[in-house]
Amino acid sequence: MDFDLTPEQEQIRKLAKDFADREIAPGARERDREQRFPAEILAKMAPLGFLGGPVPEQYGGMGIDYISHALITEEVGRADSSVRTTLSVQISLVELTILKFGTPKQKQAWLPRLCRGEVIGCFGLTEPASGTDAAALQTTAIKDGDDWIINGRKMWISNGGVSQLALIFARTDAKAPKTKGITAFLLSREHQPYGSPPIHGKLGLRSSDTSELVFEDVRVPDSMRLGELGQGFAIAMAALDSGRYSVAAGAVGVAQACLDASVSYATQRQTFGKPIAAHQLVQEMLADMTVETEAARLLVWRAGAVKNKGLPSTRETSIAKLYAAEAAQRCADMAIQIHGGYGFSDEFPVERYWRDARVNRLYEGTTQIQKLIIGRAITGIDAVAG
Amino acid sequence: MKLLVPLKQVPDSTMRIKVAPDGKSIVTEGITWSISPYDEYAVEMALEQKDADPSTTVSVVTVGPVRAKDALRAALAMGCDDGTFVTSDENAAPLVVARALAKFVEQKQPDLVLCGRQASDDDQGFVGPALATILGWPHVATVTKFAPADGGIEIWREVEGGHEVWKASGPALVTVQKSDKEPRYASLPGIMKAKKKELPELALSSLGVDAAAPKIEVVKMETPPQRGGGKILKAADGDAASVAAELVRLLRDEAKVL
Ligand SMILES: Cc1cc2nc3c(=O)[nH]c(=O)nc-3n(C[C@H](O)[C@H](O)[C@H](O)COP(=O)(O)OP(=O)(O)OC[C@H]3O[C@@H](n4cnc5c(N)ncnc54)[C@H](O)[C@@H]3O)c2cc1C
Repeated sequence: MDFDLTPEQEQIRKLAKDFADREIAPGARERDREQRFPAEILAKMAPLGFLGGPVPEQYGGMGIDYISHALITEEVGRADSSVRTTLSVQISLVELTILKFGTPKQKQAWLPRLCRGEVIGCFGLTEPASGTDAAALQTTAIKDGDDWIINGRKMWISNGGVSQLALIFARTDAKAPKTKGITAFLLSREHQPYGSPPIHGKLGLRSSDTSELVFEDVRVPDSMRLGELGQGFAIAMAALDSGRYSVAAGAVGVAQACLDASVSYATQRQTFGKPIAAHQLVQEMLADMTVETEAARLLVWRAGAVKNKGLPSTRETSIAKLYAAEAAQRCADMAIQIHGGYGFSDEFPVERYWRDARVNRLYEGTTQIQKLIIGRAITGIDAVAG
Repeated sequence: MKLLVPLKQVPDSTMRIKVAPDGKSIVTEGITWSISPYDEYAVEMALEQKDADPSTTVSVVTVGPVRAKDALRAALAMGCDDGTFVTSDENAAPLVVARALAKFVEQKQPDLVLCGRQASDDDQGFVGPALATILGWPHVATVTKFAPADGGIEIWREVEGGHEVWKASGPALVTVQKSDKEPRYASLPGIMKAKKKELPELALSSLGVDAAAPKIEVVKMETPPQRGGGKILKAADGDAASVAAELVRLLRDEAKVL
């Protein structure tokens, strides 16, 4: 076993770190305050290949390995979780899912444009009445000649408002068992217009675009169906598998950001005539944060190593996502504690880290669901629907 | 047009430098290394010429210890065509570096050599002019722009309050000044392409350069003295006018800034 990165991975990490420090981090507070989508940052990231990740070069991606993918995602997440969320959705939920389930024509039509950032994609699974219980979704697609007519509503969709492409899930067979009657579709906004009322007032991730999606008799040709009829739920679960990996890597970035900010503050701020880092109870928090961060990172890398081999990684990814999401929150909490009153104000970034970290424990499967996935893997008993 | 950028790997400018216990070197453990900033501007200047005229080739070369290979890879990832690694000890003397580069330039025969105006670690600014002298080439310092012109190369250099335009009729060497064209980021496609490129290695001896030639020895290194604490004049020390007068006196007599 070897924990060393290859020279290319080191280079990719340095590129991502430089970019994150110079281009992403400096405006994060203002974007958060103004709830403004980071369009200008995505425009700079695209030519560097950041939106193409592990998608093969033949489809306009970079063909990088999953550890490199995690390194980039971590660095972006260290600077700004809102930007990182856009990246996670674009690459992991949309691109990699089209890559896995799309026809050659669908891949050629969408992947190069997604990788170049000309098209922003969103992933619409969650609905007002179904989140964790995704298979209970109520959006319908009814066959009409060669087309499908889609009606329904999606909730909490990242990138929804800025998307030109939506990968969505609808019930195509009301009589089939819950998980078997769902089909995935690609909607090109230009030809299959859908509404996207914005969702404001979020606790964190405030500069990430979040919206509802509204489908009112949206007519979609059958050629825009992704995968087989009735395969939708399985496609959604596969997508979340890659999405969770990205969320986990982003959460490691948040934990690292909390640690960096705390070390810097604790070695400068003085009380009782010495830097607060010299007080053992403060140093304990710094040590705990270091352990949390490194443990989370190693779990992500392990899941990445499994993915690099092309093996099933549901269990490893859930372990990494669960741990990293919770670790980032604990680190953010300790970071505020170390900053004292200043940590409670947006003069320092740690309060944003804390607010942003919160969503990692919710989206792409809540912490509870990750536990049930891990539990299912070790007992063979599925307790999710139980 | 054939361009060559000799570059140096130095501690990244974000690093906090500590003097080692021997008192004459720096602690290298845990240091991130980068291309020296002015060299990076030189790479950017060369690559801009390549953007304008794709038939341009941009080569990079470094003389240094094994770790310096990463600097070449970084330059290739920015878009340079090829890199050559000349192996040397940790602290090759500047004249040895210039001599080795001269041999390499003779082999490579570039139209223009672009060096950074100085390396950010020792700030000597020696290698560029020394290389030009050994080659017997014209040398223009603190250059911000160049362009191929009729039968030669036009070279812009900064002077107080403006710039001069020089013209070189044959091969020349410039040392590059910081300009508003920030060095580009490497890109993922660049990194993936660089990965596939060979980095030929040359030993100093194979270039016929004696590594032992005039050696510089650093006798002592010291960090700048600790800055003393600030002085605060309190309102209680007098009324506004007398506090201001005292401030002026201190700025003039003690701080000597007025
Ligand atoms: C900022 C943001 C962005 C998002 N982006 C997207 C997106 O791009 N695309 C998308 O499709 N969705 C997105 N989501 C939705 C997100 O995935 C869901 O919110 C999440 O899956 C939880 O669903 P829910 O909100 O309906 O909660 P519920 O499913 O109602 O769950 C509520 C609580 O009950 C618990 N619970 C539910 N069922 C069980 C069970 N069987 N066992 C134990 N505990 C259980 C949950 O863990 C949770 O604590 C986003 C959400 C947010 C907040």
